[in-house]
Amino acid sequence: MTTTLDLHSHSEASEDSRAPLEAYLNWLKLKRTERPVDGVVLTEHRQFNQEGDYRALEDKFGILVLKASEVETDYGHVLVFGVTDEMTRRFDFANVHLPAQEVIDEVARMGGVAVPCHPGRPNVGLCEHYTHKPPLENVIAVEVLNGGSRRGEDERSEELVRQFGYSAVGGSDSHLVSLIGLCATRFEGEIRTAEDLVRELKSGSYAPVDFRPRRKPVPHATPVEVK
Amino acid sequence: MAVDYDPAIIGRVFETTDPVPVSAEAIATFCTAIGETNPIHVDAAAAQKGPWGGITAPPSFAVTFRNGQHFFQHVPRFGKQGFDAGKDVEFGALIRPGDAITLTSHVKEIYEKTGRTGSMVFVVVRSTLTNQHGEMVAHVDHKFMSRT
Amino acid sequence: MSEVTYASVQIGDTLGPQEFYLSKDQVRAYAKATGMWVPRFTDDEAARKEGLPGMITPGNMSLAIMSKLVSDWIGASGARMIRLGTTYRQPVLPDHTLTLQGFITHKSENDRTAEMDVWVESEEGDRLVIGTATVHFPR
Repeated sequence: MTTTLDLHSHSEASEDSRAPLEAYLNWLKLKRTERPVDGVVLTEHRQFNQEGDYRALEDKFGILVLKASEVETDYGHVLVFGVTDEMTRRFDFANVHLPAQEVIDEVARMGGVAVPCHPGRPNVGLCEHYTHKPPLENVIAVEVLNGGSRRGEDERSEELVRQFGYSAVGGSDSHLVSLIGLCATRFEGEIRTAEDLVRELKSGSYAPVDFRPRRKPVPHATPVEVK
Repeated sequence: MAVDYDPAIIGRVFETTDPVPVSAEAIATFCTAIGETNPIHVDAAAAQKGPWGGITAPPSFAVTFRNGQHFFQHVPRFGKQGFDAGKDVEFGALIRPGDAITLTSHVKEIYEKTGRTGSMVFVVVRSTLTNQHGEMVAHVDHKFMSRT
Repeated sequence: MSEVTYASVQIGDTLGPQEFYLSKDQVRAYAKATGMWVPRFTDDEAARKEGLPGMITPGNMSLAIMSKLVSDWIGASGARMIRLGTTYRQPVLPDHTLTLQGFITHKSENDRTAEMDVWVESEEGDRLVIGTATVHFPR
């Protein structure tokens, strides 16, 4: 039984997102045919929402909601799955200069998985850092498909995967309701909890999936006349 | 944390501008510049018969009111270049020709993050626009971004 | 075309898409009209000296363009935009065709409001400016 999750999304808890969680879930319900996603993972910027309890919304919409974080390190941004109290005591998630190797190793030691995201993005992706720094050790997977990527960025991420043999995930990186679920990850196993997600990420049995519609060509428009 | 500033500036009003008059001509010129042709903004006779009883400025006119030239004496800068990173606007009373608009501003928040262009510091300034009747015309949260 | 009403609005409804050619002349007109006659908004060479790819569109102008998308959708219905939030993600370079679009994402019975996502897309499909708006419908 497969599980398809949007592994990377931001609710209004992230300062640059404008999307309430309930609106995300309602949108996924509306778009179920085009975006067959079983759940979303909230990866809020530089924080972990310890108290958030979304069981009522999960029941209402029949969509799984898991919590994670997106932190900022000396090798770019990293998604942290299976966040525990111990991790939030060990690392200040608000620090934008966390040591990436320590994050990867300590998160693993504490039972989670840290996944570098949008590695092909300038400054905040692995690819650029690998051009002048030693590669990170113990990386299990990277985010090869990101809904916010610009031309060439995901292609650079794919090259990284070929070179280092990382497993590949996908996520929308949505900051707007209507962009949720456009990119996701299909797992071979069943996932119902953050622990299940960590187990499945370690298994390597998954692949990114792309639900974005084909772009239509942009017609030429007439300039507005200005006196 | 690399961001160094006096926390006392958060929430403290640093400026109330002198009232800026709004003319029909300024609204018309603005509408031309943004390609706005809706009669309620550009045609006095049609606007009179419309829902607001006269010419009103398009909503985006509200963000054209600016702080004074001493802005950066009160608002910390963290890098060489500054960019407008976005605005959140809550709209109140409509703006009409003959209005006089005052801005009252304070620093709401300062935070750091990293992105495609490197390390950035964001300073959010909240300005409240008030008209000559004391009515709230808009709350504008203006995000300034500096690269560090 | 019938006016949009609170009852007629459905989650998933679209605003636009509208194609819009933003010329350098229009950007200069906006800069002049709003007291922003500075090099980065008026002159390619001067903008490049600031490290920009060429003259760019003021953020306020992008906000105005997105605001107009919402106003056009509202039409003569008597509804009003009560909130607009914008994030400028990439410089908007003039002398290009922009695509504006949006989606209705939420309705609130209590407030008689509709929420929408709105954004400005480049010819390459990059979302240069993103935002959300709230529109209130009178009874």
